Amino acid sequence: MTVALPASSARRGLGIDLSKPVLIAFAVILFLLIAMPLSWLVLYAFSSKTGAFTLDNFHRLLTDAAYLDPLLTTFALAILTALICCIVAAPMGWLVARTDMPLRRTVRLLVTASFVTPPFLGAIAWELLAAPNSGLLNQLYRELTGAEQGGHLFNIYSFTGLVFVISCYTFPYVFVLVANALDRTPGDLEDASAILGGKAWDTARRVTIPLALPSIVAGALVAFLQAMTLFGSPAILAMPAGFHTMTTKIWSLFQFPPQPELAAAASLPLLILTIVLLRAEHMVLGRRGYSVVGGKNSEPRIVRLGRWRWVMLTAAMLVLMCPVFLPYFALLNASFSKVASHLVSINNFTLHNLHFVFYELSATKLALRNTFILGTLAATAGTVLALVIAYVHTRQAVRGYRLLGFLATAPVAIPGIVLGVGLFFTYTRPPFVLYGTLWILLIAFVTLSMPAAYQQLQSAFKAVHPELEDASRILGATRLRALWQITAPLLRTSVIATWCFIFVGVIRELSAAIMLFTSETKVLSVLIYDLNESGDLAAIAVLGLLMLVLTFGIVALANSLKFGGARRLSAP
Amino acid sequence: MASVELRNLTKRYGDVAVVDDISLTIEHGHLVCLLGPSGCGKTTTLRLIAGFVEPSKGEIRVGDKLVSSPAHSLPPEKRNMSMIFQSYALWPHMTVAENIVYGLKLRKMDRASIGKKLDAILATTRLAPLAQRYPGELSGGQQQRVALARALIVEPETLLLDEPLSNLDANLREEMRFEVRRLHDAYRYTTVYVTHDQSEAMTTADLIAVMNAGKIEQAGSPEDIYDRPRSEFVARFIGSSNVIKGKGIDAARIDFAGTPLRCVGEQIKSGASIPVSIRPHDIAISAAQRQGENVVSATVVRQVFLGGSRDYMVEAKDGTQLRILTAAGENIPQGSTVWLTLPPERCRALSG
Amino acid sequence: MEGSKISRRNVLVGASALAAGAAFSTRVVSAAPPASAVTPALIEAAKKEGKVVWYTSVDLKLSEQIGKAFEAKYPGVACKVERTGAERILQRIGQEYTANVHAVDVVNSSDASHLVYWKDQGVLEPYVPEDVAKFYPAEHKDADGTYASFRVFLCIIAYNTSMVKKEEAPKSFADLLDAKWKGKIVKAHPGYSGTIMTATYQMSRDLGWEYFEKLAQQNILQVQSAADPPKKIALGERAVQADGVEYLIFQEKESGQPVEPVYATEGNPLIIGPNGLFKAAPNPNAARLFQSFCFSPDCQQLCIDIGGLRSVHPQIKEHTGRTPLSQIKTMKDDAAAVLKNGEQIKARYTKIFRV
Repeated sequence: MTVALPASSARRGLGIDLSKPVLIAFAVILFLLIAMPLSWLVLYAFSSKTGAFTLDNFHRLLTDAAYLDPLLTTFALAILTALICCIVAAPMGWLVARTDMPLRRTVRLLVTASFVTPPFLGAIAWELLAAPNSGLLNQLYRELTGAEQGGHLFNIYSFTGLVFVISCYTFPYVFVLVANALDRTPGDLEDASAILGGKAWDTARRVTIPLALPSIVAGALVAFLQAMTLFGSPAILAMPAGFHTMTTKIWSLFQFPPQPELAAAASLPLLILTIVLLRAEHMVLGRRGYSVVGGKNSEPRIVRLGRWRWVMLTAAMLVLMCPVFLPYFALLNASFSKVASHLVSINNFTLHNLHFVFYELSATKLALRNTFILGTLAATAGTVLALVIAYVHTRQAVRGYRLLGFLATAPVAIPGIVLGVGLFFTYTRPPFVLYGTLWILLIAFVTLSMPAAYQQLQSAFKAVHPELEDASRILGATRLRALWQITAPLLRTSVIATWCFIFVGVIRELSAAIMLFTSETKVLSVLIYDLNESGDLAAIAVLGLLMLVLTFGIVALANSLKFGGARRLSAP
Repeated sequence: MASVELRNLTKRYGDVAVVDDISLTIEHGHLVCLLGPSGCGKTTTLRLIAGFVEPSKGEIRVGDKLVSSPAHSLPPEKRNMSMIFQSYALWPHMTVAENIVYGLKLRKMDRASIGKKLDAILATTRLAPLAQRYPGELSGGQQQRVALARALIVEPETLLLDEPLSNLDANLREEMRFEVRRLHDAYRYTTVYVTHDQSEAMTTADLIAVMNAGKIEQAGSPEDIYDRPRSEFVARFIGSSNVIKGKGIDAARIDFAGTPLRCVGEQIKSGASIPVSIRPHDIAISAAQRQGENVVSATVVRQVFLGGSRDYMVEAKDGTQLRILTAAGENIPQGSTVWLTLPPERCRALSG
Repeated sequence: MEGSKISRRNVLVGASALAAGAAFSTRVVSAAPPASAVTPALIEAAKKEGKVVWYTSVDLKLSEQIGKAFEAKYPGVACKVERTGAERILQRIGQEYTANVHAVDVVNSSDASHLVYWKDQGVLEPYVPEDVAKFYPAEHKDADGTYASFRVFLCIIAYNTSMVKKEEAPKSFADLLDAKWKGKIVKAHPGYSGTIMTATYQMSRDLGWEYFEKLAQQNILQVQSAADPPKKIALGERAVQADGVEYLIFQEKESGQPVEPVYATEGNPLIIGPNGLFKAAPNPNAARLFQSFCFSPDCQQLCIDIGGLRSVHPQIKEHTGRTPLSQIKTMKDDAAAVLKNGEQIKARYTKIFRV
């Protein structure tokens, strides 16, 4: 048997393998992106107003109740959110991945919907729903029970309310991680338990759940970090409730006269805690390998729920009421109502809000354009960068790959708002004067999306056996070519997912943008935040729906681009 | 422990019958190999036995108990079987010891007995030093032995093996074949073993069922299958047989390249085209002219010295090429005319 | 290291520079440039620039309307309205100027002390529109011609008429301390709103900080912008606003919402929102044209009719149904003092209200 070599193989002697320099270039970019603002942050944290070295900032942070309280509040918030997310999302992930519950695809879709809903938009929608007096749900409650004016069922302006709203838009992280892990776990592992006499519950308890554990732990961690660094929802709900979280406190430190030193110091505990947690995750999971050992993948085993199918579906739908159905309804209602807190009726219906947003509000078009440009650029640049870094890390392609991995993960610990400040300091001075341009926002968005994009692609890389790549290299492909022609197509689904993820992230992003925008570079999220500040709920509702339409459009488009191949390699 | 009986077992996916009307009885304590090329339906048959797949038609009985039928299928966990998966399916989050005792824990066995059994199986499978490792830290052969230990420790009524050696390298595979057989002899579980490797089947099985396109082509002892193939598929798949085609003369002879050839095996219809198999080492070759029954002349196309033997390719007058294995000393140059003696008792007429 | 120190000082928007705080000297008019009329040449030049960027804390609807009116009057010059809270405007312009980004042409703030501050920084361009020179009272224009009172309004109590009966409505700030209002008050924040900053100064000066300490016991709903409380009471989320802009109460009331202003017997904080233009304005001619437009009777009347604001332009007619400014007891404005005490006011407020 002869193997016909492709004609191109003749050229391979001539070209130099550019992969090392290219990889190093990417490494440098990442280093600049992340290390520079971080350095400023640290420098500021240890500086006094005059620029001298000091520890006063930390002293004040730990002794002044004005800073200590938000710190404790934030931890409580993050822990509760992580717990709630796990309790709700992990079983849901199992239901859609491993049972015959009806409408599983729909449930997945709806979770995606709650994932792409910007948390600040959700928070505003929940203001419409559950503000103690004007909230639609509380009005309904008073209607039904005849309770006094002022009586209410929910008070969204409270710590509980804030935890609830944040959980609503954070649980998809856990859900997606768990569902994907269960999708990937070979059915053999469960079959092996079944054939040894394990009943469904034994198998779930001893095999399925432990195998999903890393994703649950990872999900809890992401949820924790999300809740810790989120700015929009606390800014909207915590202040009316009369308390601060760390992010809103940091934001308030930039009020005139700004105190960037304190803000920097206040963000360091968040950074340190994140590092500790990431290390702890390693310790928890320890030596146990979780990558599947050997062999071909087999189809996942489906648990038959029998009569419980519909009960479970109802439960899932009830959960989804909170992040999707109710808020969307509230936004829709507010868009067409003369008064946001009144239900649309014949004499209450108006198109004025639409008219206002599209014809009177001068910032709408600009913000839409900017958001779209930034979304596309950031998603593309971020995906490429994350792809390369993830590759370097999983294949240990250059020395210092560990540092790269750490750098790519580090932004997760930096509240967007603080990164915004770091970037502001970095890019308002030579050699990179970028403030006032879209570039600085692009850098912010790429940096902020890096951890998630990196994690996503890294786990995708781990699932692709290096031999597949080696096989290409042995036939004469350079490392980059192998990456591009073999690994990338295998990762196509993950790459598309990551792209969407970043795009959606850009649309959602508020906290860094709010520090970095100028009038020419305003984005949709900032516009909405500004509108919220002055209480223009109707305009927010219209813009919010527009934002959601844009988001869903992008996700749908990207999904329709999926190509045949690569999707189900393991199909028999 | 009990026998396993498949009756008219059929599994369809859409219009395709992956397993097509199979009937097979596996005696208690026997090791049966389902042997066949990939896609022949052997793994599906195994998964039907395990209960992971439900039959479209037919039934499976273990002892006198009906376990699978289109109407009712006992779930795998209630069949008291064990299975070794092609991927081994070792749980990556459990140590070797935890993997192995899993089944015993499910059976609520007390700690002391579990410990005793674990020690015993670890010794048998020579895994004792690795007990506290995680599967990710083991070599392929070690993983395979863990899978074996995990399946055996529960003392199943039936043991199922799905290409258990296919992920091992050649040396190890050879060693493990004997290991499987040794363990089977030690425990004597009713065992169904799926493989596409005929030597694996030869070494381990009491009974081999050769499968092709969803059907069992032939079932019998290794000797039976090897010496007395009944179909061309079996003849070619088991060992490497020369299959020559001739026209039936009478009940015992065919006409091959102008020479009448006496055969045994299937009934020969005169005038029909009859395939006949003969093993390469059963043909005698001679440079000197021979006469007598079943002697055919041919030309040497090529010959290769293999150390212990010599491998000839010769061409008969009608263009049929035959492979012949001879003693190494028998050196006849390429292009020579030779006379082949095909012993009648070795010429097996096959079913068309 | 030296270099970074200098730029860092800039970043702080010269927090220390305010100490000097040039007095808001309203008596002497000598340093101001002569009045400038809107000439065809100015309009032409503005058209060449094509747009003007206005950072303002005026309520969104009104500010967009003013922009549209300007564009209608001077076709070819687009007006980009950047509306946000006054304190955030201060922060943003500080950030932008530190980074050498000159995006803003004309600024309007509901915290007059900001204009004093920018003037001290030397970033404001002296320019006196004809209307200002001719009609505006001396105490409503800068002696050096860098800004003038574009808008005047009050920061007032108001209530939702469907939740509170007229006779039970509060009459004074002191009334709000009554236990019956517990959990029913919405209030804006001086850290975000220039209006509230100014009001907090005036109230703490006239009523004392004890008032706020007691108010903090009332379990208030804390919002950011002074534009938010009127909307919250119109929605029915809270019954009463402790502070908030008067003009939105007018707007809401006149569009049929159940809200009613209350003019507190102690006097009502007077908020002055001056307009000024920047030396480094990217569109200097359009900026002048827009500044002149802002003080014209057309625009001022718009502010009153659509915006519910007050005007100190004598040619402007007050709206029927609104209590004339002259009949309302107001507190005294003192921008210089706000500038001097701003940081301390925020700190104290945050301590009292814990946000």
